[in-house]
Amino acid sequence: MVVKFLRNKVVEVEPRKDGTLGVSWRLTDDLLKAEVNLVVQLPAMEIIEATADLGRFVPKGLEDASEIMEDVEGVTIGAGLRKIVRGLLGGPEGSSLLSEAVLECCNAVILHFTRPGLEIGEALENDEERLEAVRAMVKSSPRLVRSCISFQDDSPIMKGLNL
Amino acid sequence: MISFNRSQLIGAEFIDDETVRFNGNQIDHIYNMEINMDVRIADGVILKIEGEMKRYTNFVCPRAVPVLQTAVGMSLRQEGWDKAIMKEIGRKGCEHFAEIVIECGRCFDQALKSRDLYLATCHNPGLDQEAFLESWQPQS
Repeated sequence: MVVKFLRNKVVEVEPRKDGTLGVSWRLTDDLLKAEVNLVVQLPAMEIIEATADLGRFVPKGLEDASEIMEDVEGVTIGAGLRKIVRGLLGGPEGSSLLSEAVLECCNAVILHFTRPGLEIGEALENDEERLEAVRAMVKSSPRLVRSCISFQDDSPIMKGLNL
Repeated sequence: MISFNRSQLIGAEFIDDETVRFNGNQIDHIYNMEINMDVRIADGVILKIEGEMKRYTNFVCPRAVPVLQTAVGMSLRQEGWDKAIMKEIGRKGCEHFAEIVIECGRCFDQALKSRDLYLATCHNPGLDQEAFLESWQPQS
């Protein structure tokens, strides 16, 4: 059956020569075209540049998207991020598009840092070693506790961890 | 070089006059998952959902597949539906499944608008598309 709607979205993280991370978020669907670009300063994880460009049928209130996006410059990727970003980009109808784009960019930055740890775990010899590696990861990242089924109290991964 | 890349692809088919079927795929360097869900157009209620985990990080992850059934009966028209999906499907199941369901939900009105605009332009190629979308209202 022919689809009547198709959305294609991509987010990319690219370490840059100056030590910052470039994050590119793009969306295209039948009605909307959107692009958000962030530059994240390390190790503070501070958003130092934020731009946006929308096209096709631009939601009302987002005609000056890049100007709106400047509000997130200075925000640090860390505790309270969702509330801060939604607060800063809230207001005009449709602004959730930009706040969710920024949050997805920030999530991608976190996953950029998660990837090497997972690769180390994959290289381990046996299941027991891999389980211990996951447990070590949870211990060092308290935000993971009860974040999904793997890290709920009744998960075999959490057994004996008392977190 | 790119160190992390995630792609989401959401398609919407109108399988009959009352139901839209979403197919959502999310692929990144770490995960690869797919959701299919049927939504009643009149009230946004999720009628049916299934998911497949193709690439994940640990042996507990697949236990999140049956948790998806919690979404059946939830409405994409209810205020805070996305937070409810993240809580029930994400926290109690898999955050990445929840991300796909939420993206499908965000596409609900866009898919209806897109279908209606497409049909309208078939009848009237000179249609003022911006004006059409500005005056567009979801069916009740």
